[in-house]
Amino acid sequence: MEWRLLPLRVDDASMSMAIDEALLKLNAESKSPNTIRFWRWLPSTVSIGCFQSVEREVDLEVAKHHGVDVVRRITGGGAVFHDHDGELTYSVVCKQGDVPDDIIESYRLICGGLVRGFERLGLRAEFKPVNDVLGNGKKISGSAQTRRWGSVLQHGTVLIAPDMRLMFELLRVSPEKISDKFIASVFERVTTIERELGRKPSFEEVKEAMSRGFEKSLGLKLSEGELTSDEVELASELKPKYASDKWLRKR
Amino acid sequence: MGYAEFKAPKGVIKVELELTNDAISQVSISGDFFMYPEDALERLEQTLVGVKADRESLLAAVQRFYGSTGAQTPMVEPEHWVEAILRAAGE
Repeated sequence: MEWRLLPLRVDDASMSMAIDEALLKLNAESKSPNTIRFWRWLPSTVSIGCFQSVEREVDLEVAKHHGVDVVRRITGGGAVFHDHDGELTYSVVCKQGDVPDDIIESYRLICGGLVRGFERLGLRAEFKPVNDVLGNGKKISGSAQTRRWGSVLQHGTVLIAPDMRLMFELLRVSPEKISDKFIASVFERVTTIERELGRKPSFEEVKEAMSRGFEKSLGLKLSEGELTSDEVELASELKPKYASDKWLRKR
Repeated sequence: MGYAEFKAPKGVIKVELELTNDAISQVSISGDFFMYPEDALERLEQTLVGVKADRESLLAAVQRFYGSTGAQTPMVEPEHWVEAILRAAGE
């Protein structure tokens, strides 16, 4: 099985979200191949899950003050701070038939690529259902998946060296989580590649490790390719939705 | 308007609702859970409108929602939605 690997991109939030949706849609129409890509956010962005209320989850004043963008994803799950200098995001787009029907099993398969990637970088890694990967026993990656039109999009975060203090200023932590001693224990439970390795690998190095990991876990060969003009065109059409206030404040 | 949160095994369910004569007249659900397909959440909200805010009626409505949509919510069970709604109704 051969899948396409796209070059590392740096885009603003609405463009990145639009590219992911365009790939999903065109893959479902069999106009785009199964694809893996890695990308960074410029400016740094908080993405919220499609069911989250932006007002409840994000301190918009703090975001504005720090020049941090805020965008709603088409995938569920929680709010994520994508630090331009310390976070790498991946997307996997494929036909639904290429992953298990069972949702948790499909996360296990795709996250298995990350597990092997982290291992290549020298960490002990494991999948934690539903959608997390642990590095040396602590959360180091979270993913979110949607299934539409017969295809699957899974995207997620790889924590290289994000600004964790800014992250907690940006994200409103729910009282329920605080009651779980969330804040006090967060540095015990969440880690980064830099913290575990004692060095900050380059984005390309992480991309390379994860790509090889995906090849192994999914049993495929990645061949380098570019976005097609159809994909770029559809992404440009979808971009305004993600940049709109209406979409951001949907819930 | 009542508001409450409930932490399910995967995700915090946040419910804002209004009651009229003990029945839900308006409800809005948000949170960091997963639901497939995603547009089913609107169906869940619609299903809940007009339902009496007691455990039995709510559970029946939520189960009806799962039955009619085939929605999947990993590690979030019907009882978790009911618990979140009851808490909001009690506020």
